[in-house]
Amino acid sequence: MPKSWIAANLEYKKAGYELLSYLATREGRLHATWLNPVDREQKDVSTQVVDNHFPSLTRQLPEVAWDEREIHDLFGYRPEGHPDLRPLIRTPRWPHDFYPLRTRSNIPPQWLDVEPDNPAKTVTGDGITIMKVGPTHAGIIESGHFVFSLIGENVLYLDAHLFQNHRGVELLLEDRTIEDVRRIVSRICAGDSVSHQTNWALAVETLARWTAEPPLALRRIILLECERVLSHLNDLAQIPAGVGFQRAHQLALAIKEYWQQGLKRLFGHRFLFDTVRPGEAAATTPDDLGALVRELRRRWVPWRRLVEAHHGFNDRMAGVGIVKPQDVTRFGAQGVVARAAGKALDARSILPLYDDMAVQFIQESAGDVKARFYVRVAELEESLRLLEESARRLRRWGSNDSSPFIEDPSDLSGRTVTFTESPHGLNVHDITLARGRVTRYHIRAGTYRNWPLLAHTVPGNAVADFPLINKSFELCYSCVDR
Amino acid sequence: MLWVAQVLGISLVLTLSPLMWGITQTTKARLQGRRGPSVWLMYWVMKKNWHKETTVPEFSSIIFRLAPSMTLAPLLVVLITIPIAGRVPALWPHNMLTVFFLLALERFWTGLAGLDSAGTFGGMGASRATTLGTGIEPALFAALGIFWEVSRHAAIEPLAPALRTNPASLFPWALASVSLALVLLAEWGRLPVDNPDTHLELTMIHEATLLEYDGRFLALSQWAMTLKITVLATLGWVILGPNLSSLWSNLALRLAEVTVTTVALGLIESRFTKLRFFQIPAYLAAAAGIGILAFYLLAGGLTV
Repeated sequence: MPKSWIAANLEYKKAGYELLSYLATREGRLHATWLNPVDREQKDVSTQVVDNHFPSLTRQLPEVAWDEREIHDLFGYRPEGHPDLRPLIRTPRWPHDFYPLRTRSNIPPQWLDVEPDNPAKTVTGDGITIMKVGPTHAGIIESGHFVFSLIGENVLYLDAHLFQNHRGVELLLEDRTIEDVRRIVSRICAGDSVSHQTNWALAVETLARWTAEPPLALRRIILLECERVLSHLNDLAQIPAGVGFQRAHQLALAIKEYWQQGLKRLFGHRFLFDTVRPGEAAATTPDDLGALVRELRRRWVPWRRLVEAHHGFNDRMAGVGIVKPQDVTRFGAQGVVARAAGKALDARSILPLYDDMAVQFIQESAGDVKARFYVRVAELEESLRLLEESARRLRRWGSNDSSPFIEDPSDLSGRTVTFTESPHGLNVHDITLARGRVTRYHIRAGTYRNWPLLAHTVPGNAVADFPLINKSFELCYSCVDR
Repeated sequence: MLWVAQVLGISLVLTLSPLMWGITQTTKARLQGRRGPSVWLMYWVMKKNWHKETTVPEFSSIIFRLAPSMTLAPLLVVLITIPIAGRVPALWPHNMLTVFFLLALERFWTGLAGLDSAGTFGGMGASRATTLGTGIEPALFAALGIFWEVSRHAAIEPLAPALRTNPASLFPWALASVSLALVLLAEWGRLPVDNPDTHLELTMIHEATLLEYDGRFLALSQWAMTLKITVLATLGWVILGPNLSSLWSNLALRLAEVTVTTVALGLIESRFTKLRFFQIPAYLAAAAGIGILAFYLLAGGLTV
């Protein structure tokens, strides 16, 4: 039985399937859900945890290293043969028998009175400096602790300790009703909020065997693309800051602020919280949307000219932080990071939602900071084009509303795996409901795969280039620290 | 009268240097589409830090506490020796070699301060600053070497009279100005060599050596940072700039020149990104090369 668990998963990986979710349940089941990007079929491989042990996939499938460490920390199931079973989420302060997702106790445990830091992996030897950065940083960003092993100005090894602000969202969602879940899911992460909300809405609709009609689908596309524009604007603003190009940094932040004020005006929220729910999505008028995009283009074009023509900036990005194609496969890289290194993976091409939209997918092959920068530039412009196309369709269709969503949600039951392409990559929710309440909710955002890849990419680069490489990945902490 | 002009010049530099810093910051803010903070911000920041509690890292020594004064002092001595109004009272010490070594002393103490803060960033900043120093010194020496050639002794004197007597020295003068400008950008820790505005510790050079400072020590270091720009800009303009007959018009001219420099600094910083650390030696070698070229051209031109 264990052998077939490993073999079956490897088979799908080799066949080019994408791993959506690696789920553990309180009942001791493990599920790996694979997606065929061509025929859109999902395949479920599962096994039973025996005596709190299960065979690890990590040696054959390095991309699940963190999933298995997480299962080990939160459920206490031990992946046999895992090469690095240091705590990922646990801290030394957790009592030894405290496994929050397995025990589900509402009483907080008695925290142990010890230092909170987990041991770091470093290089030892003559002339090697260990440099620790974070978890609190000088800028206004989230918490991450990075331990660099340096030789001179060069990075030999990077150990990234995330999960500094673990919120226990998955446990928080359990036992919630459908109405309650929506508000929490909307706030998992401000960068990918619409994507998370859409995953939840799709899950409820799938279980209810209800399909959104084109006007509703269009409203969701508009929201998803608005979010992509916002996120890419932010990332494009941050990359110049990594090389002291303050002018491009500040000017792009001003464009982003304009966009956010527009989102607030059109949809009622600067980060688009609470805009998508089962059977619904926030609506706007074609005129408002058209005007918003037109004005954005007016501000965007000069900025694009400024950065494209800047020799020093382009020179600093080229050849830095190169992601190799084999690492994209090995680590299961997602989103812009994967597409800038030659992998044609954009969930919009798999999602039925986008079937009517002729999305042009962007790809680069260099895998460096520059490739990631220009993939974002091109994707942002493609999103603007999609928004303009959406405004045209809105005008054509008028305000005819689709059939209202359901009935009584209290008898929904079953498990479903839904996904969308968030600005940070393939974002997956693995949801199990029983009689309209959540029994298990697993969230695997795109950044979850990209963080270990970042730590793998940095060695060999100058330590002063780390901020630049980091910003070009622009990984979300809260999607991981959920 | 010479005494009054010199003392007035020194006081102007001492009191206005934080304002000059503010002018650069405001220039940059405007080019970034921001209003930016008040040009007087640095005075307020220094006053705030001065009245704050001063803490010292547990593992640091007396060096950490001496360093802020020891980086400020050489700049003050340099300032005193500059003939700000074009001429100095008799027997006033003004010597190019002294300036050179005082700046080296200042750099030395900046490095020590970073090392003695006992933090990783301080050590890294000290290592980078010292590495840069080995490139800055030859470049600065080459740029300043011009003045031995002109005056045949090491005194700080305006180059302008020599230009009037020999038009052939105009080209070397231009080269020397370029060389000095390049090396001063590095010495000041400005773009494209170092970014004074960053919060990214891993990319810092000069700022990294100051990360552990607060309170009065930080206020002193900030004053030194602003003074370094104003003092060296004044020195550069005294040597290379025009020289008027009246002491007072010279003082007014210096004020205008230094203000122009700070605005130009803002423009330059808005145009450039930071160089890769390993490209900086090439930048400094270019500065030194131009300086040496100017030196030889001038040597040839004046002896013909």
